Amino acid sequence: MNSSLTVWERLLTLSQVLADTPMLAIAMTILAFFAANRVYIAIGRPVWLPPVVPAAAILAGMIALLGLDPDSYREGANWLMLLLGPATVALGVPLYQNIHHIRAMLWPIVLTLPIAASLAVLYTLVIAWALGASPTVMASLAPKSVTAAIALGIGDIIGSSVPMLMAALLITGVFTTLCVEVATRLLKITDERVIGFALGLNGHAIGTVRAFEISSTAGAFSSLGMSLTGLFTALLLPVLFNL
Amino acid sequence: MRVTSVIHFKDGRAPLMSILRGFLILVLFFLLGESLRLVFLVPVSGGILGLMMLTLYLMVTGGVSKPVASASQALISVLILLIMPGLTEIFFISGKFTGQWLAVSVSLLVGTFLSVVTTLVLLNVLARKLPSGSNNHE
Repeated sequence: MNSSLTVWERLLTLSQVLADTPMLAIAMTILAFFAANRVYIAIGRPVWLPPVVPAAAILAGMIALLGLDPDSYREGANWLMLLLGPATVALGVPLYQNIHHIRAMLWPIVLTLPIAASLAVLYTLVIAWALGASPTVMASLAPKSVTAAIALGIGDIIGSSVPMLMAALLITGVFTTLCVEVATRLLKITDERVIGFALGLNGHAIGTVRAFEISSTAGAFSSLGMSLTGLFTALLLPVLFNL
Repeated sequence: MRVTSVIHFKDGRAPLMSILRGFLILVLFFLLGESLRLVFLVPVSGGILGLMMLTLYLMVTGGVSKPVASASQALISVLILLIMPGLTEIFFISGKFTGQWLAVSVSLLVGTFLSVVTTLVLLNVLARKLPSGSNNHE
């Protein structure tokens, strides 16, 4: 730290200096998580608002208020996000605990997966193509329903733009939870297994977070939908984009 | 089949040592998944491969140990915390792709709505038409 500055000047640059350690990013993320929990309960847990949205908004507000560079925040937060690996593995436990539900629905799932996961890609690609999207944009939108770690790998192969791919994933995840909320009401679908599977297949990890709020069974089906869609799309897209 | 709910923990709190032991097992399965990915060049993340390996392992051994159940419950309950940092990018990204945003937003929103409805209807209908997937006892 520069000693030629006044105390006041050093105070003003403090957030930039602290941003060099991951601790600031970690503290901000956890703080925003608890703040968002309170806000979400205070506004009566509206079903149209997935709780990750206020959480991310509060966090983005904190980053902007402190004048941090979003990239340096992300570097620090990467330390926290390392836990996403073991957290993904952890989804195997509810999956196993619901294995009897899954066995009972094996054939419907085996038939639905390739059709729905392909259409999740095709609907968006056809609309984007009709609206004149560039090849790079199409390649960035295609893996939109795949969980981030797999989607980035697919993006490498088919030539996506990484920031646009990430934005597509996040928008799709959040919008999926909204669509599932609305569509299940319109269609009068109450089967938690069906709702969970739709959340995971279309909305990857963000949908899975929502599914665990419904029930452990919905969460298990969402984890299953997310994993199978990741596998299937990772095999489908490189072939599709080679044609 | 032993069913211990991960989400509702019986005594309300899990001992730290137990969570740590379970966490180690989850990390080992993650490393196993990463190894499989790197050795066999599978285009799937180590986390997802680890998830599948863990599920298979639990099916073979026929039960979830308390440490694994506690660690899994702890991680799943803070899943939002791990997703938030990535989601903040939405707030800082706009303006990078001017001119393509109409195509991007319309195709994502309409496409996602259509595929959600497709998934819900398809699975709901098939689940009724094919009531029991396994031919064994249900």
